[in-house]
Amino acid sequence: MEFFTESIVIGLTQYAPLILAAMGLALIYRLSGLINVAYSETITLGAYIGMWINTTFGVGFYATLLPTAIGSGLVSVATYLAIFRPAKQRNAGVLEMIIISFGLSIFLRHSLQFVFGYPVRFYKVSRPDIIRVFDVGVTTFRLLALVSVVVLALLLYWIVQRSRLGLQIRALASDEDLAQVSGIRPLFVTVLIWFIAGAAGGLAGSFWGVGSNVAPLLGWRQFLLIFLVVMVGGAKNIGGVIIVGAITGVALAAMTLHFGQVLYAQLALIVAFVVFMKLRGSRSVGAGKV
Amino acid sequence: MNLDWLDAFLLQGVFRVVMVLGLALLLHLQMGLARIANFGVVGFWGLGAYAFAVLFVKVDWSLGEPWPFLISMAFGAAVAGLAGLLVGWLIADLETEGVLVGTLGFATSVWILAITEQELTGGALGMGGLKFPFDIGKTKANELLWFGILFAVVALIFFYVFRVHRSPYGRLLIAVGENEPLAGSLGKPAFRTKLWLFAVGSAGMGLLGAIHGVMAHLLIPESIGINVTLAAMVGLVLGGMARVWGAVIGVILAVGLFDVVVQSYLPLPRSWYTQTIPVLREMVFGATLIAVLIIKPQGILGAMRRDKLTRRMHGG
Repeated sequence: MEFFTESIVIGLTQYAPLILAAMGLALIYRLSGLINVAYSETITLGAYIGMWINTTFGVGFYATLLPTAIGSGLVSVATYLAIFRPAKQRNAGVLEMIIISFGLSIFLRHSLQFVFGYPVRFYKVSRPDIIRVFDVGVTTFRLLALVSVVVLALLLYWIVQRSRLGLQIRALASDEDLAQVSGIRPLFVTVLIWFIAGAAGGLAGSFWGVGSNVAPLLGWRQFLLIFLVVMVGGAKNIGGVIIVGAITGVALAAMTLHFGQVLYAQLALIVAFVVFMKLRGSRSVGAGKV
Repeated sequence: MNLDWLDAFLLQGVFRVVMVLGLALLLHLQMGLARIANFGVVGFWGLGAYAFAVLFVKVDWSLGEPWPFLISMAFGAAVAGLAGLLVGWLIADLETEGVLVGTLGFATSVWILAITEQELTGGALGMGGLKFPFDIGKTKANELLWFGILFAVVALIFFYVFRVHRSPYGRLLIAVGENEPLAGSLGKPAFRTKLWLFAVGSAGMGLLGAIHGVMAHLLIPESIGINVTLAAMVGLVLGGMARVWGAVIGVILAVGLFDVVVQSYLPLPRSWYTQTIPVLREMVFGATLIAVLIIKPQGILGAMRRDKLTRRMHGG
């Protein structure tokens, strides 16, 4: 029993940012059918923006969250306007779009390394309090990450599935011409989605950053898992991404406890997810970008 | 043999260029013709290197030279080829996103195993004990001979890729890449074609990895990072994804610029070479991918050149 509660508590608190990041990636994927590899750098940038505000102005971690979300949201929008929109207007194919996002990811990652250098950076925060949840020690930062993820997840779910904006998003994703005829402004909705996705990624990055350290590879290290969660959770429904993200976190925590080695846990998950996709056949995902 | 004229750094730089060229040529068949984005090039390359090294170093060979070496080389290529078959089977009927996650996941898995299986691979510390199968005097002479062997292997790969381009098999690859359901409905075995393509391409990548391992003498998990895949991809995209010569021109321009010109001929401060140049190289590579694919997606050489039969069919 102890093993289970431990796995669930650690899994949900430690991997809460994973769910947040996966929701952001899924939003962009759902709207434009693009798997944006450079999303991993949006995450990393969130961590850097938060760390920079925190160490330069000496404000507390919680106070950095809002500017971090806005900053990384703007970065995300900038990448859309500067790179992905022109590429789409020139009719780049799916293969080309993915390679472009891969190139952007490499460029941003090494630019960060160029600017900040090799040494990892840290948030300047006092040691977080440890609260015992079901007899498992959890830091307040991680607990807050979980709470924010739950709040943001519900908010995003509500926006996409229930609100008028969500209706516009889904309309735009399924048929752009028809959506335009119906009076939806594609550019406005698209920019908004990239902003929300970027903000979610940036927040995920800052939660990861404050939990350990801030390095140029922060987002890239998590990207494959985020990507797998989106692919398996399905692009049809944000709810699926949330559920698969939570299961992934708990499974990773449980396997890490079992093997004593986080890499084995990741390996097992990669294999399981890719085999799952093979068995399901992912054409259904491609067809269901609604 | 007097080799004083030859700079050791220059030799290693040219070695890297030819190595990446081999990978880019194999990637050309997968990405340029069949339009399967293999983001796991380094996985097959690294698996070949490690499989070769493990068999060569860890087994107590009773056979005389050069058999242990040759058998290990073949083993490295075979393991990578089998992995290619497996990965090909997993991704052959997935969309581009599925291919990305499958190949990236495979490369990450190889990297993870290189770290965790310390008994076999030496873990993060690396695995030594790799040496040339011959000894003709000085280190530089041995390296030059080994470079000659790499050059011969890559020339063979070039010849193979060149022939494929102008063969029925090449046309089949192009057909599958352009419209898979159509190729399938005409009775072409699209799934099997992709499997074969991945198996052969991956075996070639594995062989190149093993050749790299011998030159490096030491295999470390850091050397099988995404930058290997990136270098091959940048070269191919820059030169022209759909052209055989595209890989050649692109790799010479991109990798040659950094690993030969900057490394050996520019009068830059020494300290730059350890930190600044490698980071700058990746930045330029990333920016190149974006710029080429937005401004001139076909690369320097332009659209695919078709063989005589296709041109006649289209009246060109």
